Amino acid sequence: MKEYAILLDDTYCTGCNSCAYRCIQEFRYHDQAAKGLFRTFVQINDDGLYQKRCMHCIDPDCVANCPVKALTKSEYGPVLYDVQKCIGCQTCVRMCKFHVPQFDEVARKIVKCSMCAHRINENKPPACVEVCPTGALQFGEYQEMLDRAKKLAAKNNLKIYGMNENGGTHVIVLAKADPVSFGYPKVPVKDITKSVSMGENFTVPTAIAAVAIGGFKKFSERRTRVETEEKDKLSKK
Amino acid sequence: MEKKNEVSRRRFLQVAGATGVVLAGSAFPFRNLTPAWAFGDHPQEQVPYRITKRVPQVCARACEADCAYTIVVGVDPATGVERAITLEGRPEDPVSNGKFCIKGMGFVDSLYDPDRLMVSLKRTNPKKGTDEDPGWVTMKTEDAVHEVIEKLKTYKPEEILMASPGDPYTNRLAQSIGCTRADQRTECFGTHYYLNCLTLTNPPNKFYSSCYTPSHHVCGYDYDNSKYQIWFGFDSFSKCGKAGMLNHWAAGKKNGCRIVMFNPVRTPMTDGYASEHYAIKPGTDLAVALAMINVILKAGKYNADFIHKYSDAPVLVDEKAKAALKADDGRFLAWCTKHKKAEPVDECDAPALDGGPFKVSVAGKEISTKPVMQLLKETTKAYTPEWATKISEVPAKDIRRIALEFAAAAPYSMVPTYKRDAAGPNYANSWRLRHAINILNTLSGSIDHEGGILLLHDVKMPWIDEIAPPVAPYPEQPAKPVDFRNEFPVTDNIYRKRDFSAPGHYGMVGWGLYKTNRAKAVFFRNPHRGLFSMIQSQMLEKSTEKLELVVDWNLYLDDLGYFCDYVLPAPHQFEEGKMDLRLYYPKYPCIVGGSPVQKTPGDQIGWGGLAAKIGLALAPKYWTTDGSGDPAKKIPTNIGDVAVKKAGIAENAAEFMKNGGFWIDKKPYQNYRTIEEIGYGRPHGRVRMYIDEFAEVDHSPLPIWAPRWHETSGDFKFSMLVTRAPWHMHADPNFINNPVLKEVTIRNHMDTVWMNPKVAAKLGLKEGDKVILENDPRYMKDLPRPQKATLHLTKRVAREDCVLLFHGIGHRAKNLKVAANFGYRDGDLIPQKDPFMSKKHDPTGMGWVEDVFVSIKKIA
Repeated sequence: MKEYAILLDDTYCTGCNSCAYRCIQEFRYHDQAAKGLFRTFVQINDDGLYQKRCMHCIDPDCVANCPVKALTKSEYGPVLYDVQKCIGCQTCVRMCKFHVPQFDEVARKIVKCSMCAHRINENKPPACVEVCPTGALQFGEYQEMLDRAKKLAAKNNLKIYGMNENGGTHVIVLAKADPVSFGYPKVPVKDITKSVSMGENFTVPTAIAAVAIGGFKKFSERRTRVETEEKDKLSKK
Repeated sequence: MEKKNEVSRRRFLQVAGATGVVLAGSAFPFRNLTPAWAFGDHPQEQVPYRITKRVPQVCARACEADCAYTIVVGVDPATGVERAITLEGRPEDPVSNGKFCIKGMGFVDSLYDPDRLMVSLKRTNPKKGTDEDPGWVTMKTEDAVHEVIEKLKTYKPEEILMASPGDPYTNRLAQSIGCTRADQRTECFGTHYYLNCLTLTNPPNKFYSSCYTPSHHVCGYDYDNSKYQIWFGFDSFSKCGKAGMLNHWAAGKKNGCRIVMFNPVRTPMTDGYASEHYAIKPGTDLAVALAMINVILKAGKYNADFIHKYSDAPVLVDEKAKAALKADDGRFLAWCTKHKKAEPVDECDAPALDGGPFKVSVAGKEISTKPVMQLLKETTKAYTPEWATKISEVPAKDIRRIALEFAAAAPYSMVPTYKRDAAGPNYANSWRLRHAINILNTLSGSIDHEGGILLLHDVKMPWIDEIAPPVAPYPEQPAKPVDFRNEFPVTDNIYRKRDFSAPGHYGMVGWGLYKTNRAKAVFFRNPHRGLFSMIQSQMLEKSTEKLELVVDWNLYLDDLGYFCDYVLPAPHQFEEGKMDLRLYYPKYPCIVGGSPVQKTPGDQIGWGGLAAKIGLALAPKYWTTDGSGDPAKKIPTNIGDVAVKKAGIAENAAEFMKNGGFWIDKKPYQNYRTIEEIGYGRPHGRVRMYIDEFAEVDHSPLPIWAPRWHETSGDFKFSMLVTRAPWHMHADPNFINNPVLKEVTIRNHMDTVWMNPKVAAKLGLKEGDKVILENDPRYMKDLPRPQKATLHLTKRVAREDCVLLFHGIGHRAKNLKVAANFGYRDGDLIPQKDPFMSKKHDPTGMGWVEDVFVSIKKIA
């Protein structure tokens, strides 16, 4: 299956928040939004526009730590959320380095973007992308979006956010200045994009090799112990 | 413990083998990527609502672009009820290009606003005010309309004020009754409208149609193909939300257009779209524009072909009379350098652009003349970039360079301007800036040219008078109207004789109502601005104590309603059919239509029907085909039917809508063709730079420098800049009573007053401080109403001598549950205009919304 991503070219965004409202209408969560619980929202800050939304990490901490597997990483990009499974423990809220999941105290559930997985299922772009009046939001195959971001960054001297942050994300932000300077969280950079990018680079042999190395290590430890024990026995004799 | 974690050789091989088998059967090995769900099975992969139908519509009343889109109707999963869910774009629409904005979507949800007005209301408590209980009684709308009509009948025409924009029905109504129509909505377009009329569109013309769409213009801007643009305060926060424009700006940016922006505020438009930004001193854009004219003329870098063929540059002006010279048949005259005499400009093969004076004999009398171009050079001679720097604080070398770059990019260079920018209603000298801008666009030859200013052509929406001519001349309009139009002959002439839809003086109608007894009955056609559409509404509020009848026709009971005797319920705009030209981007002849998405849910009455009822009762002669007054012979008002039939695209509007409600003729734009058809000096029409009419009222026929009307003094030192959140329009409850949009406003600090952090530090003010803003009593002499607000410190206000206020937040109507008592009201700080003072500064009487200096003090 294809792997998708959203590219946000911040140099085209005007902070109109049409994306935010279209999202609300798509998912009918007006009441939550009225309390400030947005799945996507553009904050007009002094030095730029911070679009707070799920970054759909390639290796999401929320998924890794969700005790009931309410959050799952799809192979085509979105981090999906199963509201029925969620027990409201807020582990994801604490674990997300981008501070994205918000907790609805009334519903005891979290609020988070799904990248409009249902629309991808219908071959449509996410609602926010479709409505964006300037084309600041773009949607397509992950590699294509990444390549486009790199090309634009090189051409227009732009910064890329989301390529290496937390090991890479399925939302890539392009901006004139470092996005951290206008609101995006400073997130540890891990260059795991290539090694974990699904489907193409991460293969079954790689996985088997990883398991094998681990196993050999344990096997090696046993051997060392056995040798030590034998030595001990000999010395006691 | 150590031992437990060890793996035996056998165990290792067993586990490794089993894992290998599992992994080999899966293409999805990564730890966190375990496919918990097969594709398509996850709950979030299910469509959240079921679509039942799509209804074409056209936006209105949210901005001037009027995007075409489709309303998506579906089954709400929460209730199981069918309702409008959201919008989808119409990619074929040349304005929206398939996009729409947050306000358009706001209209979808306001259909179901629980605060919508469903019935007619009649006041029982004579005491008016937002803090008074009106003692409303509900009425059947039919009965309320009947009572209103019976009361209106008791007044003379000059005692009635129709507070309404000049739509086809209002025009017919106000003209047939003979009462004044003062515009509550489009005055912000007034400066643009009148200067465009006087330089370019020369109404009536063969294409001009409705005031509903952009700025009363017949023009739009070809941002997509422009190469160089200069924006004077054009990049406001409100622009940040206009999808019908944003998609074109984005296209222009992709095409490499350079944009130079002058604005004391740095908006996201500046961040994303400006090639250069200058934090100009507020109200001094005119100086920069004049200096640019000076540079272009001195360097001879104007578009010579255009100004010879399509402008009045060679036209001779009588120096003494300050009027363009015309032959007996009305054609402009030019000085022929070959024949050494005055000749009709179109027949002159060597017209002089400079020099003179040339002596011309008219009716046996010798007069001294000079070409317009020569006079323009003389008028702007002193306006050097160095001179402009002292006023505007924009570096002279940049002004010079920008002017020459602008000229070099001609005719793909332009200065766009609409509504609330520096050339709009902002300053008493804004009309001069608008004039200077039209001259810059003339010098570049971008008017009526691809990549520049596009003129509406080859399509028309008729006025009612064209399909139902009045059986007799309309009665004279009041000699002394309550909005004091008569004090402004230049614009009054256009309103009375050339285009009755011309913007009125809403910025002084409050003054007229408060200071005089000219009006006794006011009918507000008010979707949905309330008192917020007025500056210093305290004058109107006070005047209602003496007014005998105040009526509002409205979607909501808003704060204006608290001063009314009757409030009649209006339909939502999505409950009405529409027919619209693409005036905002008129590159191609195009018509789009909209259908009602639902029936009105209450006892609402549409404006067309209501206007006809009032008209038939008060002026039956003009509302019947034979003047008999017989309701059976009511005049036709089917404008849409006539428009589509005339365009040859359908038999009637119903058929047009059945076929999708969209028609476009994508033929290539014919440069300079339309200006010949509609401009001055027809049949070979031209753009007019020299405006005789201004000379007749002791103003300069060519733009000259004038400082702002107000001056700073003492604590009143902050220039009050006004903008709007991208998701608001005035205090329209469609948006301001929307709880989500309120939250978006708060989170973006747009319910606060914005100030530069440096000046705040000097004053000891901090983020979140509660402050009070007050006017200089020298300028706010009556009914001052200082405003309390919260302070937000931001570098987006790029200067220390100004503060930024957001227009259209908050509402005083207590029944509007979300909007009530939210924010502050900028309009209370803007004085209504004394017409006698206004006309000394502005022959259009349209400017000075931002000619205000305020003090800011922390509330203890």
